[in-house]
Amino acid sequence: MRVRPEEAAGLAEVAFVLGRDLQRAARTAGGPGALWRAGGAGLAEALRLSGAAAAEARAARDAVDGARALRTVRDAGLEVIPMGDDRYPARLAEVFDPPFALIAQGWANVAAALAERPVVAVVGARRATPPARRFARGLAADLAGRGAVVVSGLALGIDAEAHAGALEAGGLTVAVLGCGAAAGYPRANAALRRRMGAEGAVCGEYWPSTPPAPWRFPARNRIVSGLSHAVVVVEAAGRSGALITADFALEQGRPVLAVPGWPWSEAAAGCNELIRAGAAVCTSAGDVVAEVPHGGWSAPGPGAPGGPVLEGLPRDVHDLLRGAPLRADEIAAALTADAAAVAAALAFLELEGLALRGDGQRWWAAPTRG
Amino acid sequence: MVSRLVSAAVIGLQTATVQVEVDLRPGLPAFAVVGLPDAAVQESRERVRSGIVNQAFAVPARRIVANLAPADLRKSGPQYDLPMALAILAASGQLPAEAVRGVGAAGELALDGGLRPVPGILAMAEHASRSGWRRLVVPAAAATEARLAGGDCEIVAATGLRHAADLLTGRVAPDAPQDPPAAPPGPAGPDLADVRGQHAARRALEIAAAGDHSLLMIGPPGAGKTMLARRLPGILPPLSREEAVAITRIHSVAGLLDPGHPLVARRPFRAPHHSISVSGLVGGGRFPRPGEVTLSHLGVLFLDEVCAFAPSVLDALRQPLEHGVVDVARAMTTVRFPARPLLICAGNPCPCGFDGDPEGRCVCPPGRAEAYRSRLSGPVADRIDLRIDVPRLSRDELLGDGAAEASAAVARRVATARDAARGRGQAVPNARLGPEAVRAAAALDAAGMRLVGRAVDRLGLTARGFDRVLRVGRTVADLAGAERVGEEHLLEAIGLRAPAATEGA
Repeated sequence: MRVRPEEAAGLAEVAFVLGRDLQRAARTAGGPGALWRAGGAGLAEALRLSGAAAAEARAARDAVDGARALRTVRDAGLEVIPMGDDRYPARLAEVFDPPFALIAQGWANVAAALAERPVVAVVGARRATPPARRFARGLAADLAGRGAVVVSGLALGIDAEAHAGALEAGGLTVAVLGCGAAAGYPRANAALRRRMGAEGAVCGEYWPSTPPAPWRFPARNRIVSGLSHAVVVVEAAGRSGALITADFALEQGRPVLAVPGWPWSEAAAGCNELIRAGAAVCTSAGDVVAEVPHGGWSAPGPGAPGGPVLEGLPRDVHDLLRGAPLRADEIAAALTADAAAVAAALAFLELEGLALRGDGQRWWAAPTRG
Repeated sequence: MVSRLVSAAVIGLQTATVQVEVDLRPGLPAFAVVGLPDAAVQESRERVRSGIVNQAFAVPARRIVANLAPADLRKSGPQYDLPMALAILAASGQLPAEAVRGVGAAGELALDGGLRPVPGILAMAEHASRSGWRRLVVPAAAATEARLAGGDCEIVAATGLRHAADLLTGRVAPDAPQDPPAAPPGPAGPDLADVRGQHAARRALEIAAAGDHSLLMIGPPGAGKTMLARRLPGILPPLSREEAVAITRIHSVAGLLDPGHPLVARRPFRAPHHSISVSGLVGGGRFPRPGEVTLSHLGVLFLDEVCAFAPSVLDALRQPLEHGVVDVARAMTTVRFPARPLLICAGNPCPCGFDGDPEGRCVCPPGRAEAYRSRLSGPVADRIDLRIDVPRLSRDELLGDGAAEASAAVARRVATARDAARGRGQAVPNARLGPEAVRAAAALDAAGMRLVGRAVDRLGLTARGFDRVLRVGRTVADLAGAERVGEEHLLEAIGLRAPAATEGA
């Protein structure tokens, strides 16, 4: 199905003005083009509206000028990639309910790679534990180093770490937004967002100034999985939005991988549930390569240089932390060591990247790179 | 005829001489006070009249005019009762003019003519010595405080107006001044021996006390942050006489002194509530009063729930934290207060307090904890040297009976560490060393440089953070009795470095 850029931009603006999603309406009307050109009765039926609401919707659509909408998008430094365009990812076009256009920034950086290279979504909870963040960053860096394009949602937590890891490794990464590309959400990721636009790509299906709304993020997740060959869930609690991405991936026939967690960890309950349901276990980038047969994988780069040889108290502390996260006082009690010495040992491990300071009071052993 | 005494006005902590002149003029009996008096001074007319009559003196049946000079300085408070009453007695010949020449006086009259103490007596007595006054008449209850000033001015301690007149004419001999009582009785401050567990936090307190480093404690409610902070004054070095007098002067002006034991013997501990205003924290008011930051001068200022303080209030701490003084500007005048407390802040990790809780009791949505912590605004966060997590105690620690170390033992180590700093010729504690001085005091060897270099690479240590690590490392080394700052000292300092939020996460 071909969609003209003016129609796609116009519909995105109509969706913004009406504050609703037009995907289903477009299907009912027989395609985005048909919805754009539909008469009053056809539009009302597609939108399932009647009376004053239908008249209002029609007035809103008629007030939008497709050509002007397209200019507005381009003036914002964005481009419209409608369905049927050469640059529209073929894999995304195959899925149920593909967006009738992507509004993107930096798309030229990734358009070819999305077609030729393995594409992996790395997703997870916004509120993630420190080692999960560290793991997501390392995993994304390794995947990027092996030639994959890393896709995620630019949310706080795991998503941001995945993008940052891929960029650090000099790889390509795509962020799929659940709001307009100019909405600047989430604010904490503004610096990352700028870098993504320049070195990777940022895309979404929404009009640039669309504000974030809870219902738009699940819809965005179908694009995350639709762009990808496989989805890796790094850490997700029982009700995390990352599980929605995994559901879409299953519907779309993409393999799902999950990073296992302790059975008693609430933060990993969703991941463990996925594994029970048949998701592959992911403990390193190699697991992803094994799940995604693709000619685009390259050999892994040289491994990270080995850490220092630990001895004395730092080694004892590290051994203890590999078992479970502990508070400094608990470490001192377990090793019957002086609080000052334990503090120094922890600082040493943190400097060497072998221990992480948790959000609360506990220290974690850092995961090793996969 | 005109008679004249002097008194001292206290503006903030500064003082100014006020001439109290009384003239008796023919006319209908009346009593007027001029010279920019406020309402409390106007009311003193009634107290003066009653006090004179009830001490068996007579109020002259003339037109009495009392003038407080200089006329452009606003006079407040009841302290002018006594000089006005004495001047009336002298003007009406009930007291020889010779007896009040060059005499200063300050005190509030009761209706029966007894004398009540007023705030700021110590500052007035110091002013009297500096100005070369012969004698200063003060309420007997405040005499001990006045004598703390030392100097040449004779302190005349009077219980009432009649007593004051008799002392000034020499009709009765003054009571021999009592020696100021030594340490006030009553319980000593809370002791560290009461704190269970929290070894890491205890260690941080010790370092804070040894180097005068400001400290931030983060932990869930009920972890014992306040309990720990309250024990900090007990491990700080004892007050020197000058420090004690400086604190007493401030507390006297604020009216906080214990009348029986005016000399403040313990370092103050102030814990203002987070609803405090800017004026309450740094001082203010039409007649500027010292704020909490001044009342905790040379002691501990504890800001609990620091993230709940208004940002404007925390911003106002910038000047005192940087310069050790507060300038309060008012329409009439600008007043400078000393303000050099050891700042201790405590906060919850997130609004509900349970972020990072092992049992996952935190109910805050993602990102809120970060937003909450970012409210610890720049100026304050920038000046915090140490940051420590204070976890809630586990059941075993709570019920365990391991005897904890008492404050006295910790205080001895703190004193030794401070001696070491003085031994290097340091006039200030490690926390206040400038960038040049700290590089000299904590010169690093090659291994130390490598270590700090790694911290810059791995942890994003900033230039300011680097200096801070050196200062704290110097203190850790002082506590260990080490000549040089070694790797283990630096490591501990790096582990205690200030919140990551201030260094750009």
